[in-house]
Amino acid sequence: MKKWGCVFLAAVWMGIFLTGPGWAQTRQITIALGSEPTTLDPQIREDGGERAVNDNIYDTVLTRTPEGDLIPSLAAQMPELVASDTWEVTLRPGITFHNGEPMTADAVVYSIQRVIDPDFNSEQISFFSTIKAARATGDLTLHVITDGPDPILPSRLYWLKVVPPVHSKDPGFAENPVGTGPYRFVTWQRGQHIDLVRNDDYWGDAPQIMAVRYRFIEEPGTRLAGLMAGEFDLITNLLPEFTSHVPKSVNVLGLEHPIVILNADSGITKDPQVRQALNLAVNKMALANGLFEGYAQVAQGQLLSPSFFGYNDQVTAYPYDPDRAKKLIEAAGVKGQTIELIGTSGRWLKDRDLVEAVAGYWEQAGLKVNVRIFEFNEYLNRLFDRKTRADAIFVVSSNELLDADKSFSAYYKSGGVGASNTDATLASLIDAARSETDEQKRESLYHQAVKRAYDQAYFVWLLNIEDIYGLSQRLDWPGRVDARLLVQEMTCQ
Amino acid sequence: MGRFIYRRLIHGLIVILGVTVIVFVVTRMVGDPVQVMLPLESTPEQRAAFEKKLGLDRPIPIQFVEFMGNMARLDFGDSLWQKRPAMEIVFEKLPMTILLTAVGIGFACVLAIPLGIIAALRPGGVVDRVTVFGSLLGLSVPQFWLGLLFIVVFAVQFKILPTSGAGTPTHIILPALTMGLPTLARLVMLVRSSMIDELNRQYVKTSFAKGLPFVRVVGLHALRNAGLPIMTLVGWEVIRSLAGYSVVVETVFAWPGIGLTAIQAIEREDLILIQAIVFTAAVCVVVINIAMDFIYKLIDPRLKLT
Repeated sequence: MKKWGCVFLAAVWMGIFLTGPGWAQTRQITIALGSEPTTLDPQIREDGGERAVNDNIYDTVLTRTPEGDLIPSLAAQMPELVASDTWEVTLRPGITFHNGEPMTADAVVYSIQRVIDPDFNSEQISFFSTIKAARATGDLTLHVITDGPDPILPSRLYWLKVVPPVHSKDPGFAENPVGTGPYRFVTWQRGQHIDLVRNDDYWGDAPQIMAVRYRFIEEPGTRLAGLMAGEFDLITNLLPEFTSHVPKSVNVLGLEHPIVILNADSGITKDPQVRQALNLAVNKMALANGLFEGYAQVAQGQLLSPSFFGYNDQVTAYPYDPDRAKKLIEAAGVKGQTIELIGTSGRWLKDRDLVEAVAGYWEQAGLKVNVRIFEFNEYLNRLFDRKTRADAIFVVSSNELLDADKSFSAYYKSGGVGASNTDATLASLIDAARSETDEQKRESLYHQAVKRAYDQAYFVWLLNIEDIYGLSQRLDWPGRVDARLLVQEMTCQ
Repeated sequence: MGRFIYRRLIHGLIVILGVTVIVFVVTRMVGDPVQVMLPLESTPEQRAAFEKKLGLDRPIPIQFVEFMGNMARLDFGDSLWQKRPAMEIVFEKLPMTILLTAVGIGFACVLAIPLGIIAALRPGGVVDRVTVFGSLLGLSVPQFWLGLLFIVVFAVQFKILPTSGAGTPTHIILPALTMGLPTLARLVMLVRSSMIDELNRQYVKTSFAKGLPFVRVVGLHALRNAGLPIMTLVGWEVIRSLAGYSVVVETVFAWPGIGLTAIQAIEREDLILIQAIVFTAAVCVVVINIAMDFIYKLIDPRLKLT
């Protein structure tokens, strides 16, 4: 009996030993992501898991401060416009890839040509669609030639990860990434984890954290449990209701804006009075506090956050004024009429709740609301349908370039995939801004566009959602407005 | 026997073909992967180019002929989501689900058979009542809730087992328990009732009267005769698990198996990967069914295989 007791004890100790913190040692952290990267080639896909890992292995030509300002990274200085369609980029000297390949103008030119090559079929092509060519003009200088004037090029270069010309031709490149970044790739156990270690030859400031392990946990409850059990140091997409349960949490104003697109061309929403009433009827502050527990801010009447280029701080949100909303609805003669509101469920955080809350407010304002929640694919059919456009479509827009161009071209400009207006003046403002290389003039054009869309109430601008991260007690990180998980900015005890 | 194998293989092949055709049709009827995979703001031109790249712009009959030709070579093409051969992903994930199933159901069998026998020996006794109550409880508790409960107790509170993932032997304990407990509950009830039936039969009473040892009568004769329904249930549990029932456990514990991959593929409308997974699941079901027939024959040689 005594013998079996010893065996049992040994088994228990073995279990504790095997499950112990292991990786979670000093200056080694574990980050739990919601999805596993599908590839570690940084130029093929456009998915969250890939970006979270590759952002630490690769550098980009330009980067952003945590607050969102564009600054040089591999570039020695900000790019200069040398002709209306040509930008000159000067690179920092003495940088090498993790495998020893030199990071020169040829490497950047190669990276640009690779990502825009139609045969390469990159899903990131929409970020680089205006780039026509690139050519080296020296060891460390190159010209990027665009299809006409492209003032957004610096933002595009913020997205361009530079790959090594020789190693990236290796068929195994997507599983054995080599960059110039602060962390080197070590191993990828598919379905389980990816490990990186600090690049001691990094050209920039040496990161404090020695190694990082990425785990992939799709279920938010399991990610939370892992953080509380001490297995993880950082988890993404923490639900607002769990922030009080975790050791620490960080919330940063994110890139996502839930809005309702109003049909300005037909139906009862054709009348600007009705569209304004629909804005006035919704208590956005209550949505931010009630649904998001305060982890969202009221959108200031535009599809931009304060850190985005083009943000107009003179425009503020439509106030919550249900009485005026009722009066406007009555004055427009649509009281008691039905408005169709289309949404989806489970695609974005609290999407269905938001749609139902908005519908509730509109009903209080005197309309009947026909809420239709579709499966995502059918929902997309409705969103992209140009012929039988619904009165109101809920959508969450995200803009990784932090520049008004992407959001406005898609949702504000007549003919854009999500636009429901035929406002030629607004479209011409957006077109003019797209080719305006004078930064101040371009900003002014966006300010005008923001004001016009606001006055015409083409949307119900709801919220700007915050990204919430759960942190272990030993990890410190302030977060970033561009949602990048840069380990070099983290410190741990 | 040879004829039996031949007929079962033909039947199995028809089932697999039927399932594959249905999956091909269904995956093209519901949803459009092009819309789901590209960013919301993509232009119609970008969508058209992506559709062409995937070959989805061609007529359905042409897609079908090509699909069947490729399937014969086990080549379903590259997963739209992961950009690598779909069967490579399946072969990577399937062993993890088989491992989880084997440990979970193995654990259920090891406990259920002795427990069921003990309960059957004295119907209405304390052990029997506790076993029946425990089984009902095990059948009533939702599996995802059980998994989360285990995580909270063993991983978060006591910190003796990992919350999720795979890699070390300890990682399998909680998911296997969660997988095995409902099976255990079902199996205990079945062993108990089958054994009560057998123990009341004349041959058992005669055996005891002749003075045969207790273990031999119960463990060998009665259990062997009660074995067919038990084997059927175990086989069914294995089939269910491999055919997708493991998805709840794999999701809760982030276990990198085929069930979790199937859900991810469905979410991303990765029709190529969905086809490969369903095809593999169909093959598994057919193979296990044939294997079960052989095991029946081993347990009870009187059975005629037709």
